Order: sequence, then structure tokens, then C-alpha cells
Amino acid sequence: MSNQKKRNFQIEAFKHRVVVDPKYADKTWQILERAIHQIYNQDASGLSFEELYRNAYNMVLHKFGEKLYTGFIVTMTAHLKEKSKLIEAAQGGSFLEELNKKWNEHNKALEMIRDILMYMDRTYIESTKKTHVHPMGLSLWRDNVVHFTKIHTRLLNTLLDLVQKERTGEVIDRGLMRNVIKMFMDLGESVYQEDFEKPFLDASSEFYKVESQEFIESCDCGDYLKKAEKRLTEEIDRVGHYLDPKSEEKITSVVEKEMIANHMQRLVHMDNSGLVYMLLHDKYEDLGRMYNLFRRVTNGLLTVRDVMTSHLREMGKQLVTDPEKSKDPVEFVQRLLDERDKYDKVISTAFGNDKTFQNALNSSFEYFINLNARSPEFISLFVDDKLRKGIKGIVDVDVEVILDKVMMLFRYLQEKDVFEKYYKQHLAKRLLSGKTVSDDAERSLIVKLKTECGYQFTSKLEGMFTDMKTSEDTMRGFYGSHPELSEGPTLIVQVLTTGSWPTQPAVPCNLPAEVSVLCEKFRSYYLGTHTGRRLTWQTNMGTADIKAVFGKGQKHELNVSTFQMCVLMLFNNADRLSYKEIEQATEIPASDLKRCLQSLACVKGKNVIKKEPMSKDIGEEDSFYVNEKFTSKFYKVKIGTVVAQKETEPEKQETRQRVEEDRKPQIEAAIVRIMKSRKILDHNNIIAEVTKQLQPRFLANPTEIKKRIEALIERDFLERDSTDRKLYRYLA
Amino acid sequence: MGISKDRIKFNVGGRLFETTATTLANAGRNSFFGALFDDGWNLSPQDSVIFVDRNSDCFAVLLDLLRTGDLNVPANIPERLLHREASFYGLLDHVRTARWGPFDGNRLRLSDSVKGTSPGDGTAIRAGPDGGCCVAHGSVVHVYDWMLEEHSPINLDYQRVNDVGWIDSDNIVLSACERLGRGDGGMGLFSSSSGDLRYKFQVSHENQVKSYTAGALSFSPDYEIFASCKGRSNEYGIGVWDQITGKQTDFFYESPGWSLGDADKLQWLNGKNCLLVATLFPRKDNCYISLLDFRDKNMVWSWSDIGSPMATDEKRVRDAIAMEDSNSICVVNEFEDLGFIDLRMYGGSVRWSSRSKLMKSKMPDEPCYPKLALHEGQLFSSMNDSISVFCGPDWVLTSRLRRSYGGSICDFSIGGDRLFALHSEENVFDVWETPPPPII
Repeated sequence: MSNQKKRNFQIEAFKHRVVVDPKYADKTWQILERAIHQIYNQDASGLSFEELYRNAYNMVLHKFGEKLYTGFIVTMTAHLKEKSKLIEAAQGGSFLEELNKKWNEHNKALEMIRDILMYMDRTYIESTKKTHVHPMGLSLWRDNVVHFTKIHTRLLNTLLDLVQKERTGEVIDRGLMRNVIKMFMDLGESVYQEDFEKPFLDASSEFYKVESQEFIESCDCGDYLKKAEKRLTEEIDRVGHYLDPKSEEKITSVVEKEMIANHMQRLVHMDNSGLVYMLLHDKYEDLGRMYNLFRRVTNGLLTVRDVMTSHLREMGKQLVTDPEKSKDPVEFVQRLLDERDKYDKVISTAFGNDKTFQNALNSSFEYFINLNARSPEFISLFVDDKLRKGIKGIVDVDVEVILDKVMMLFRYLQEKDVFEKYYKQHLAKRLLSGKTVSDDAERSLIVKLKTECGYQFTSKLEGMFTDMKTSEDTMRGFYGSHPELSEGPTLIVQVLTTGSWPTQPAVPCNLPAEVSVLCEKFRSYYLGTHTGRRLTWQTNMGTADIKAVFGKGQKHELNVSTFQMCVLMLFNNADRLSYKEIEQATEIPASDLKRCLQSLACVKGKNVIKKEPMSKDIGEEDSFYVNEKFTSKFYKVKIGTVVAQKETEPEKQETRQRVEEDRKPQIEAAIVRIMKSRKILDHNNIIAEVTKQLQPRFLANPTEIKKRIEALIERDFLERDSTDRKLYRYLA
Repeated sequence: MGISKDRIKFNVGGRLFETTATTLANAGRNSFFGALFDDGWNLSPQDSVIFVDRNSDCFAVLLDLLRTGDLNVPANIPERLLHREASFYGLLDHVRTARWGPFDGNRLRLSDSVKGTSPGDGTAIRAGPDGGCCVAHGSVVHVYDWMLEEHSPINLDYQRVNDVGWIDSDNIVLSACERLGRGDGGMGLFSSSSGDLRYKFQVSHENQVKSYTAGALSFSPDYEIFASCKGRSNEYGIGVWDQITGKQTDFFYESPGWSLGDADKLQWLNGKNCLLVATLFPRKDNCYISLLDFRDKNMVWSWSDIGSPMATDEKRVRDAIAMEDSNSICVVNEFEDLGFIDLRMYGGSVRWSSRSKLMKSKMPDEPCYPKLALHEGQLFSSMNDSISVFCGPDWVLTSRLRRSYGGSICDFSIGGDRLFALHSEENVFDVWETPPPPII
């Protein structure tokens, strides 16, 4: 007391913050630091979370956030440095295991440390914009362990070695691999990419470069593709097992580039195993593999498609231009169909029904079918053959299938009108001779043609069917009104509309009296029921069934043509007739008569008359008599007419000419249609448009179009522009 | 038997609590409780008691919050204490969510009035996105977080503040006058929590940095900042900056006779991709409102009252706000009459809807000009000491918010599900909240 009085009174400065214990921060931090050590040493069981959390909280609260933050980083860094030494010390196979173990420990410790420092994470770090505890822990691991010089390259080499081992067939610990790779991913996308993915892709690229070179020297195409496919699935599996899913695209593109893209041409063109070989030998599996692998690389499918197309065209060209093969039209078309079926199957089974391949197939067929000008005729003949007899015994569904296939070929034809012409001829023959097997099949094909080419294409064909039907009714009416005719010969007339049917010159002939009487009756009946019509007899197209009794009383019914009937009827009144006599009596034109006599007298087994002299050909001086000794196993005998099924050269010319004639009005109509809407058009455009418009029917010849334009100008439908001669104007 | 394993006992500051792990799971993993029950920590067996060295009264409140989702604070617990405790447990967000419900202008309750110490009139109040606000007074802006705790005030060389706005809950942009004779002024970006200046925005004219006075502010969702700018020479118009880089990206120079650099209000219209600029009486002799399209540097729409018959000040526009849904601009006059301008027509006139002229008779001593705000289909207008709420297509008056002291409302702002109203006579602002939804 007394001392104090002597001193001057001093006022102490007011202290802003009262810190109870100046060592407070250090002490608290020591507790936390010890805890972090314990956590890293897996000795955390005795720690109180509440106490540690409270301590960390208090440090932040008392503005020691900075100390806490740096302390945590320093402590963790020290631990990680220690750990990296331990990892480094691990030998051989245990290296990765040790790394993985330490990584797991670090993750667990990091989690616990973050829990303790949660308050700092939320307040101090948030407001100072520092790195949060968890990402900080990850980057410390990255810098002190993964990027530690003695670990960095060793780790990468170990991983790449393992991958290499797995590629050469060894079994590796995929679980461990997955964990280590997962570590890279956890450390961030850039770490994964830089420290693992990029070197991995480079090593893979090198590996496959060498391997593919090895394979291509030693394997054929099929084997090579098998190996490439296997490698590809292996890599995809590898990604699934232990890589980042995002790597799949990258590693597959490495394999695709090294194994396929770099060897594409060589693979496709490989002798005795490349694409052409596969196509020729029906290697569907290999083809499918090639498709699936090549589709992965740029221009891969294009290469396959080009080779297939050129092979197809070459093969098709040989097929259609080989004179041997076009001898039999049915065989010819059947071959085409077989080829198409085959390639259809290739595309559907191996090429995944790829549209571009289908287009290539179609364009190839279109290309080579039209190389042979007789293709339309052959296709029609094929149909004729099928509808005549071929379909007998086949169920309707199969008929449809065959017809559909034929339609496919039909679509390829450029000259559809030529086909129509032949089809009409063949159909007429079928209808008139009653040879058509199935009315349904005939109609079904007409419907198909109609959907393909439109109403106008088939209207005449349908007219032919209508005529057949009407004729039946007419015949019923005729016999109904002439009940007296039930006795004696029966006349069946088919009334054909002119224009609907293929025009043939009406060949006159003298009918036997019995028949001509009937014909007259029918004529008067028909003209009586229909006014304004004209009937012409097409005797060259008729048939007759006649009963004949031969020398020893053999009775036969002979099925013959109208001409043949006329000839045979003559022998009712004479035993022997000379060629001249027959010609005079029947007035059948010489060529037809000769053919008719030939079939009556010269066909072995069916020669109902005999000829003198006995030679193969009919001469003007020959004479004929009934073959009284004629026998046959059958009661009914069909006497065929010697006809060429296929057209002879002059006939072909004639058909061709008729087709050309028919095209003229169509071209003119097209020109007028176009000019009517365009009014003015120049020459090139008009040619282009006309060609385009007529494409579904035929390929118009430019010179022909030009001629038609001239003709139209003459008839004042068009005029040339007075200044520009290339321009045409439409004259209304 | 029958007692579930998830019973938990706590001793908090000497008081015993019993709860379940299920209740505590509501706290989430990123909380004290979430970490406490994590497998890493060897928690003592279930019958033992976990000690926590914290305030037990607050623990009771917070435990109840986790149980029910409702926050009930007894009168004897100060807010600050509760917030401090919630922050310890990592439950601050839970408290904030439970404090008030989604904003509805017709259900607002006055929750607090905060007094300030600044002299002079308030300039502006702006609500932050998470429930905080900032108040501009003269040359200083006071920043409050959602707990209404005041943080460090911010200023730009102590120059007069013209406008202020929140980019996000942590960043505030301040626009201020140019420092006479010294340059500077302009705009700055500040941290809301620490008050630190993070960035100063510059205006360049022909590659030369110029000093300028920044006025009204607006922000677009594409991270653009718009500000009305006034410089010494040519820098009159609207400047555009990138929020992330802070760099000036565009400048719309005003055409002669048309005030953009002096604007009272900027409003970004997201649907139209345009900026509304309104310069009003009495800052200028006439009122100008325009829409600017920055993509082709074009004024796509404009309106002005030059030349319109003006018998009295009655029809003078004092604030304007664009309503994109109804394709119109709502304006207000001195007597809180609302008017509408059709945005689809060029050069249309104001269609005034005269409500009541009763106000004219009892004008307060110190009147403030009316202000407008739009929030989710509700229109708010301040007049004297009250704020009116209008709803529906015909803008029917549905509520009126009034508090007895503090004088006229000079500015108000809606954000973070709160409405803040700043009074002019006394330095005080009110906080209006929508209470949490009813129990049933």
C-alpha cells in the first residue's frame, strides 16, 4: 500500500482482446495435430469427435483460422511424404498394393480430418476463398505421392506393364487395377488424362501397330478380322473392368485406326481371302465381321461397297452377255434371280440390311440387266413359263414370292415398254390357247405391274382379261338363242377388242363348210346384239378338236390348230392330195401352210398324214395321204405346231420397230405436257425433262426426242423463238 | 426389448437430452451430427451419453427444429446466440429455411425493424438473394446478412453512392459519383461478408480509360452488368461489363437529346433480350423510357412525354417498370395513380387508371416519390409510409403494408423471400417476411 502511493498513478491502455492463455492457440493446435497423427496411424479409437470439433471450432472463433488451415496442410503433407517413402520401398508386385492400401487409408483419414475441421471448411475457408479441406487433401496426395519423382514414372510403367501382360494373355489383378485407376479419376479428370490415359493410348497405339503388321503378314483376311474383332472386344471389356467409361471411345479409335483403317485396302483386296473371295464362297460370318469392323472407320463401308459393286457389275456383265447363257431365257432369268437372292441374303445377314448396300445392289443390277437388250423379252418369257406350267403344284404364297422377285427384276429394266409389248404377246397366247394355269396368279401380276407403273400401263392387259370374260357370256348367249346347234360341231368364239391385243395380220383361209356355216350364224348373232361393230376372223390363232377314225378303226380325238383342221377336213373327201391342191382349197399362206403340214406329217409319232416323198421339209411338189396305220397310246392326241418359242431375228426386229413406233406418241405427249406448263424452254432442258418424265417406262433416245420436237413444230404445237433458235415456245 | 437401437442420449452443457438417430439424420452429412455418427468415429456404445459442451437451451430449440422442421425461439434466447449455436452444429441453413416461407405479398408480416447510425437520407435499399440486404446512405453502403448482422460497410473513395446491387449472395456492385477533379469514382465489386473491394470497373473510350459517374444498375442472367454512365466528354450512355472477368464488353452511346447516362432505372428484360432505361422527372425536365437491344445496338422501343399536354404535375411519371407477361410498362405518378403503356405499339400514350385522389388531401411533410416493384405476378408500389400490393390482370389492390413510425418510404426491394422498406425521416428499415405455412 505504501509503495503504491509513492508511484505516479498510471492508467493502463485498455486491452481489446482478453486472451486467457497466450499459448491457447498452440495448445489447441497440438491437440488437433496429435489427433491427425493418430488418425493417420489408425489409432483413432480413443479420440473424442466432440472435443476435436469443439477445439477446431474454437480456433476459428478466436481468429486462428489461418493457423489451423496451414497447420493442417503442413501436417498432412508430412504424413504423405512419409507414406510415399513407404510406397516407394515396396518391391515388385506389392508396389501397387501398397499404393492402393495407403490411398484407402488417406481417404479415410481425410474424411475424418474434414469432419473435425468442418466448421473451418464452412466459415473460414468460405470467406477467404481458399481450397476446401477435401480437394486440398486430394491435391496434397497428388503432389506428394502420385507426382513424387520416385513414384510417378514407376507407377505409370507398372500400370502399362500390367495392361501389356493382360494383352498377352496373362491374368492380372483387375480389382487392384480398378482401384488404382479410380484413384486417378478421383484426383480429377486432368490427372487421369495426363498421368494415365494419354500414355496408355500412346502405348496401345504402338502395340497395335506392331501387332497388326505381324497379323497382316501371316493371316488371311478372315483370320485377321477375327483377331481384330477379338482385340476390340478385349479393349472394350478392359474399359468396363477398370478404366473411365469415357476412355472407351478413345481406345477403340486407336484399335480401329491401327488395326483396320491402316490396312483397309490390303484387307479388302487380299487374294484368295478378301472381300470378293468371301462373296464368291458365301462366307457370311466373315462378311458380317468385315461390315461391323469397317463401319467403325471413315470410308470403311465405302471401300467395302465399292469393291462389292465392281465385283457385282463384273459378274453380272459376264452373266448377261454370255451368249451361251442367253440361249435359254428361263435359265437366264433364273440365274439373275439366284444372284439377287444371294446378295439379298448377304446384305440381310452380313451387312445389317444397310440401305446404302441395298442401293448399291440395285444400281448394279440395273446397270448390267440393261446391258442385254433382250432382258425385257427374257423376263416376260420367264413369267410365261411360270404361268404356263411352272406354277402347277406350287402353293399360292410361293407363286407370290416368285412374282415379287420377277417384279424386282422388272424394276431394273429401263425399257419397260418393251417388256409390256412382249408380255402382251405372251399373255395373249396364254389366254387364247387356254394355257394359263392360274387366273389368280395372272391377275396378281397385273396388279403388281399396275402399282409399279400405273393404270395406263396395264389397261390393255386388263382389257384382254375382260374380253375373255365377255366372250364366255357371248357364247352362252349364242347357244341359248340357237338351241338347234347343240348337235353337230361346237364353235367357241373369243371376241377380241382391236388395240387391246397384239395386232397380227388377219390371215384369211377357207374354212370347211360345216364351220363356216356356224361362223356366219355367230356373226349374225353378234352383230345383231351389238351395233356398229366389225368382226374379223383370226383363223391363225384358233384351235380345233376333231374326231378321226383311222384305217383299222382306231378312234382318236385330235387337238389341232384351225389351219390344221382345214387341211385335215379336206381328207374327208379325198384320199390323196397334192400340196397345190391343199393350197388352193384352203388358201392358207405358204409359210403357215408349210409349217402346218410339217407338224401333221413329219413329227414322229404324231404324223396323222403321210407325205411323199418322205422328207423332213415340205416341197411344192409333195403329195399327202392319211396315215391309216396311225396309233397312239392316248385317245386324245395333241398335234403341236412347229413354232419358235423365242423370237427369231426378223421377229425381234419387228417387235423392236413396233416398240419404237409406240414410243413416238408417248414422247410427243410428254413434250406437249411439259411445254404446256412451261410455255418456253430451251432444247437441253426439254430433253432432260422428257427423259425424266418417261423414265418409268423407257429411256428415251435424245435424237428421237429431237425428231418428235420437229414433228410438233411442223404441226404447229411449238415454234422456235425467232431470236434464240434454241428456245421453243408452246403455241396454245 | 422393443426399444429401438437408434436411441441417442446427449449431455449438453449438463442437461440431458434423448433423441433418435433418425431425427439427427435430418441434419445431413455436412453437419456436426452427420460427422459424429459417421463410421470413421468410434462412437461409444448406445447406452452411454455423448457430451457436448454447448448451450443447452439452444440445443433444445435446434433439436426441435430437426424433429419438426419448425423453428420456435423462446423470448429468452437472443437471436444472435441461436445463430451462433446453429453455426456450430452446421444447422444455419436449417434455421434460415425454417425462419420464413416462400414470398407472398398478401401474407407478409413485419418481422424486424433495423436502426442505423448514418446521417442523412437513405438512397437505396437492395435485397440480397439469400435474405440479406444492403442500404446506401450518402457515400457508404451498409451490408446486412440474413441474420440482420451488420458486416463491414463498403464505399468507393467515399463518393456519393448512386445505386447498389447484388450479383450473388457474396458479391455487391456499387456505383458512385466521379470524384471531382480527381477522376476515380465509377463502379466497384465488393465482398458482402468482408467488405473488401474486389474489382473496379473501368470505362474505355477509344482505348483510353476515362473516369465517370455511374448511375442506375441492372444485371442479366448471362453474367452482364449494365450501368448508366456519365463521363467528362463522350462517355454518356449505358456501359456493359462481364461479371466474371470484370472487363467492359460494350457501350451504348446515347443519341443527342435522349438521356441514357442519367437514367433513374435500368431493368433487364430476359424474354425480350432488351434493357429498359428510364430517365424521369425531376432529374430531367421530361420523362424518357426506352428499350435497348445490344445485339444490334438499336433502340427498339421508346416513349417520352415531350410535347404531351401537361396541365399539372399530376401526370408526371415518377417510376416505371416493365411487365413482360402483359407486354406493357407500368408507371406511377406522384399520387400513386398507376398508368400503363403498351409495349407492342410504338409511340403509344399512358393509360392512367385513376384510383383514388384521397391521398392528395393529407400529404405528409416530407413526401417521397412512389416506387414500383414486380414479384411473381404481384405489383408493389410505395407511397408515403405504406406499400400497396396489387394482383390479377386488372391489378386490384389486395394488401397494404404500413408501419407507424419512420416517416415516408423512400425505397424498397424484394429478394430472398423478403421485402425490405427504407424510411426517410428516421434511419430505419423494415423487414417483411411471409410466415412459414400453417401447421395444418
